[in-house]
Amino acid sequence: MNCYRFLAKDALSAFLAFLAERERVLVPVEKNGARSSVVFEEWHEGLPFTMLKSTVPPKAAVLPQCEVLFTCRRVPDEGDQNRHVMVLDDTLTAQPTVIVATRPCDARGFAVLDRPYLNGLYQDPYYAARRKELTVLTLTCPTGCESCFCHWVGGGPSSPEGSDVLLTEIEGGYLCQSVTEKGRSLLERSALPDGEDRLASMQEARKKAYQSLGRAPDLKTAPQRISERFSDLDFWNRWTEACISCGACTYFCPTCYCFTITDEGDPAHAEGGRRLRSWDNCMSSLFTREASGHNPRRKKAERMRNRISHKYATYPENWGVFSCSGCGRCVSNCPTGIDIRAILLSALGKEEDMISHGTQSKETGQ
Amino acid sequence: MSGLTQGERRELRIVGFLCNWCSYGGADTAGVARASQPTDLRIIRVPCSGRVDPLFVVKALLNGADGVLVSGCHPRDCHYGTGNFYARRRLEVLRRFLPVLGIDPKRFSYTWVSASEGQRWQTVVTRFTEEIHELGPAPRFMDAGPLEREIEQPASSPLHSLDSASLESLAALKQAIASRLPELDLVLGWQEGRDKAHLVPLFIRTPEDLDRLAIGPLAVHNLAVYLPELKGRKVGIVVKGCDGRSVVELLQEKLISREDVEIFAVACHGTFDTGRIDQALGRYQHLESVRMDGKELRITCDGRERHFSLENDSSTKCLHCKTPLSPLSDHSFGSAPSVGEGDSTPPDLARLDAMTLDERRAFWRSQMERCIRCYACRNACPLCVCRDHCISDTREPHFTTQESTAKEKFFFQIIHSLHLAGRCTGCGECQRSCPVGIPILALREHLIRVTDELFPEYRAGMTVDAAAPLLTYSVEEPHIQEREW
Amino acid sequence: MRIGVFVCHCGSNIGGTVDCAEVARIAGTFPDVVYSTDPMYTCAEPGQAAIEEAIREHSLDGVVVASCSPRMHEPTFRRTVERAGLNPYMFEMANIREHVSWIGKDIPSNTRKAAELVEMAVEKLRKDTPLTPAEFPVTRRVLVIGGGVAGIQAALDCADGGIPVVMVEREATIGGKMAKLDKTFPTVDCSACILGPKMVDVAQHPNISLYAHAEIEDVQGYVGNFTVTIRKKTTYVDWSKCTGCGTCTEKCPARHSVDAFNEGIGETSAITIAFPQAIPKKAVINRDFCRQLTKGKCGVCAKVCPTGAIRYDMEDEIVTEKVGSIIAATGYDLMDWRVYSEYGAGRYPDIITSLQYERLMNASGPTGGHIVRPSDGREPKTVVFVQCVGSRDPSVGRPYCSGFCCMYTAKQAILTKDHIPDSHSYVFYMDIRAAGKMYDEFTRRAVEEYGTEYIRGRVSQIYPDGHGQLTVMGMDTLLGRPVVLKADLVVLAVGIEAARGAKELAEKLRISYDSAGFFLESHVKLRPVETNTAGVFLAGVCQGTKDIPASVAQGSAAASKVLTLFARETLKSNPQIAKTIPGRCVGCGKCARCCPYGAIRENVANGETTVEVIETMCQGCGLCTATCPQGAIQLAHATDNQILAEVNALCQA
Repeated sequence: MNCYRFLAKDALSAFLAFLAERERVLVPVEKNGARSSVVFEEWHEGLPFTMLKSTVPPKAAVLPQCEVLFTCRRVPDEGDQNRHVMVLDDTLTAQPTVIVATRPCDARGFAVLDRPYLNGLYQDPYYAARRKELTVLTLTCPTGCESCFCHWVGGGPSSPEGSDVLLTEIEGGYLCQSVTEKGRSLLERSALPDGEDRLASMQEARKKAYQSLGRAPDLKTAPQRISERFSDLDFWNRWTEACISCGACTYFCPTCYCFTITDEGDPAHAEGGRRLRSWDNCMSSLFTREASGHNPRRKKAERMRNRISHKYATYPENWGVFSCSGCGRCVSNCPTGIDIRAILLSALGKEEDMISHGTQSKETGQ
Repeated sequence: MSGLTQGERRELRIVGFLCNWCSYGGADTAGVARASQPTDLRIIRVPCSGRVDPLFVVKALLNGADGVLVSGCHPRDCHYGTGNFYARRRLEVLRRFLPVLGIDPKRFSYTWVSASEGQRWQTVVTRFTEEIHELGPAPRFMDAGPLEREIEQPASSPLHSLDSASLESLAALKQAIASRLPELDLVLGWQEGRDKAHLVPLFIRTPEDLDRLAIGPLAVHNLAVYLPELKGRKVGIVVKGCDGRSVVELLQEKLISREDVEIFAVACHGTFDTGRIDQALGRYQHLESVRMDGKELRITCDGRERHFSLENDSSTKCLHCKTPLSPLSDHSFGSAPSVGEGDSTPPDLARLDAMTLDERRAFWRSQMERCIRCYACRNACPLCVCRDHCISDTREPHFTTQESTAKEKFFFQIIHSLHLAGRCTGCGECQRSCPVGIPILALREHLIRVTDELFPEYRAGMTVDAAAPLLTYSVEEPHIQEREW
Repeated sequence: MRIGVFVCHCGSNIGGTVDCAEVARIAGTFPDVVYSTDPMYTCAEPGQAAIEEAIREHSLDGVVVASCSPRMHEPTFRRTVERAGLNPYMFEMANIREHVSWIGKDIPSNTRKAAELVEMAVEKLRKDTPLTPAEFPVTRRVLVIGGGVAGIQAALDCADGGIPVVMVEREATIGGKMAKLDKTFPTVDCSACILGPKMVDVAQHPNISLYAHAEIEDVQGYVGNFTVTIRKKTTYVDWSKCTGCGTCTEKCPARHSVDAFNEGIGETSAITIAFPQAIPKKAVINRDFCRQLTKGKCGVCAKVCPTGAIRYDMEDEIVTEKVGSIIAATGYDLMDWRVYSEYGAGRYPDIITSLQYERLMNASGPTGGHIVRPSDGREPKTVVFVQCVGSRDPSVGRPYCSGFCCMYTAKQAILTKDHIPDSHSYVFYMDIRAAGKMYDEFTRRAVEEYGTEYIRGRVSQIYPDGHGQLTVMGMDTLLGRPVVLKADLVVLAVGIEAARGAKELAEKLRISYDSAGFFLESHVKLRPVETNTAGVFLAGVCQGTKDIPASVAQGSAAASKVLTLFARETLKSNPQIAKTIPGRCVGCGKCARCCPYGAIRENVANGETTVEVIETMCQGCGLCTATCPQGAIQLAHATDNQILAEVNALCQA
């Protein structure tokens, strides 16, 4: 049984203050620069914030860009001064956090990350601790936009996947709908008035949003068709020609979750050493370089093939759904305008609407 | 000396890099003569002042050093012949770079002391230590507070007219490419991307590809970024002014060879700031039309028409552009607008100029917070051929960690800027590529300004047989004055 | 690691103002330090023995000594630890004497500073790796470029020392400028008489192969292993058949060839033998003046040659030699004095250079040793010598002093009096530089015994007076008034510059040169015959202005450098050199461009470029390491990580 509350626009700050009593509250904040962008920052009284879709997805709330897995110090063995022992400290502290005004594509990102991090062979304790302490309040999208395509991959502008509460903008404010138990108890704890009487407006708004989206192609055969393309390097070369192998797609993707481990500091020093986990980028050229020096994905076409295959073939094979959430950030952020939709449609043989980057050359390229 | 007593006051952290042959010997000579000096200085011995990577100095200054001193042999006396000539150039560039980072340049000094100059060494150490004490402990980058006051970006008028005249060259350009296509493996150009408001790179191999060629003020990408990976193929490339200079710079450094590249130069009359256009358009669902008309761009989406003009919405780099046409070309199209004299300080840089050192630190601290180290800026740079081999991503050598503090991320920007010093042509791709809009171009523009002052006879990317100033040296440096002690 | 730290008291030199025991105690808390102590005199024999003992007893694998300057005792202690079985590069020093105890008296500050310097040394040592010098085989042969007196001396010393010598001389004969001189100062020895025997020694020495009339085409390789390509320029005469009889030169009908050996004074035949004592004494045809070669009509020399040595179809020949070391002894040329339009710019035949005058005085010269005016063949009675024509003159880009003109002008004035007793000589000078042994006495003789009139001042103009003499207008600054003389002959002491083609040769040898083309030595005071390029040495005027004794001395000095280089079968390279990390190099080539020694070579494999350091050429400056943006080339023992370890020890904010 869902719980509905109405949050008036002018009650927004008070609501955030209520949330902040117990937890860290993350809200989107607009930053000025060479162009404006929207990032999540910790809310405090008086902080100007926005409800726009964030430039940086909120995955850092569960998978920080860089986190300390443990610290270690090398201390003399009490029994034998000539020997040393390593003292490890892997205490986890996850700060209770509420993230406000994510979008359904972002929240789906949490769901995508949950599967390998929580439901795989081993549960990742760092991720699990943060995920447990995280409450997700998602703002449903009033319309689509030219770069996003959530409904292609099983999402939608009002999809509840990964969220605890959905907020839908209606006249005068937001209708809040609980999705999970956690969401329900939060809404019940809040002093917000009941919203059942505004349900019709909410549904109207959501219907309008869905209708604003274009037609979604049928991606049912995508996993199979992409796998079939594995050795078609001409295809991958053509679609990767413009790629500059940066990380604008992967780091801004709500569903990318690869990481690398590095050790910093020195256990022999007083401050000790620390093992770090930080985001890694499968599109960069050394991503798969092995200790021997051999690199199975030296060519950028191979790396693109891997990324697309992971999102649209391998992850579905393992978990039954596409890992892409259709947020479109890779499309709008790519410095050279590579459009993942075009690659997908081309793989499926459905090139009708998409521009291609030039036909393939006779010899195989990069 | 000035009456400093060691034990009574707190020492500050002063790091010295001394060359083994002259300056370390000079410090030894001072010691033999019992020439008393304050105790703050800690000396690191290096074989040559040319061994001192400016990044060592930056690393020290960002991590607790209150002052850094570098000392080597007098120019012409370098034990290795030319090492200190390079050091002189690189360290002077570094010294003039520090202020834009919010670091007081008085905290860094480089000088020349020979092995026999014990007294001079004593003077240098004592004076420098005094100067650092006068400045006090260095403020820490991570302690910088938020920027208190709003500083306006000054209005700036362009050095040459900005309009869409470059579009007129399209037909002639297509014809020229068509005639050359049979002899080239491919030609790099632009085409429409996901919609008409977004152009993307085009790799032309056939007449059908060529049909899609688009140019004009929305063709913002610097295609030279693809040339190094295409080395060995015969590649044609369509360039504007700034990207043509990138091609020349790549030729200068022999990263590509002249016989393998054919340059189709289009006279550029300005490009749009696509980030601002996207921001103004916001989230739209349908793009109805895009029309360029004189100086105005009209974009209609979701039923609303919006106007953009090159006067108000051009990339800031176009405002101070002096090379609207590539200096090197095999085919040339259109006539370049004439370039006026005027002040050519880029507006972002002028805004930084108006800030105090503290304010600049605060500015960069807050700007770098939202960086997520995606390295789009690095990979979009045509001159950065290191890419993933970058020292910011490795422990061999171990300059940075993977931590996402504003300081580590700022250090990467400093690394990239210094590695580009003297080579950067100001094409602005780094800033354009940044998905969170950090105004990093200002750092590079400042370095362009510094190298223009120090090496006025050189401009990056103008002639193939020039040499980037920090990759060469000269015995006399008319624009570098040795500091007095 | 297991590091031992030794904090030396050095008696009271350090112990007086640094609490060494406290420094040692603090050092014991540093990571990986398992043993620390504060000996009294570490460098003394018992001190060193104690280090060796500690290494064995505590199984140390690295040692830090905090004491005096490493410039003093680093080699000492490296040997100490090596004796105890450690690699000598697993050793660091902290300078707590010259840089701490001797420059301040505050014990707490000094102690803290000393402890931090020890910490820096420990942190660097933790990043050090053992280094081993590499050994290379060496080609024990030397190339001497230039057959003047310096080159001849160098060649003879090397050859006598058992080293095979390849000598390459551009002209048809060796001897250089000294062979053109009549007499030499201060002894007035006949130049050819003292040089001649040495030239013959060169020709006859079993260890010397001489390529005359040849030039260096290309030099590849590095110290111990150079491959030199030599162009034997065609002479049109088969030297294996030519006996030097000279019949061809007598019979040659083309008598108006420019006489290069005589500096352009007088004319000669198209086929010549340079001078009677030429080595090799063989004929050479000047193709620009030979009627057979220019017009196809003559052939007289071929007909008269008793051995049939003439070969009009002969071409240049390229040969390759492998050597281990090179001595550049290419000498000098006179600058082009015709820039002095005030002296006639070469239009007036009776204004000649000092070298042309030497040829006039020389018995083997164009006038048989009779000093005559080139214009009318009459004996001059008044000879005016002008010094510093193109020396010490910034206005023509020659600010330096040419070093020997004062001396030879005095000599020429003396000899003029000997040749023409009723002549009178004047010398216009700025200063008299007569610093060598017996030099000042010699110049005084020119004045006091030979009546040469020395006028301190410069000459503003020389022009023909219309009556067969030259008007010389100058200044007498000691009297403070202008001077006008009438001269029958004017001799200009023309300034010198590096020999024609020196810059191109320098580039082939990868050595540097200054603005006048003189080759750059390693250190102007302490290493005057070495260059910054390993294996390439200098001798003679090509390194800078000097007289004959100094050139001879440098010839021997260069030879001694070569003999030292070749003293062993193999060369050991200093292991503190740069090394590439192959996986990180992207082949941008910036390091190769900046290396002062040309020690970095680009390799292309599978279409990818990487670089490689030539170990024998790298001198360990580290410029490449500071230049490489990826850190892909690292100077051993001063790598980025090692220096960063020291920076990080100090800066930990």
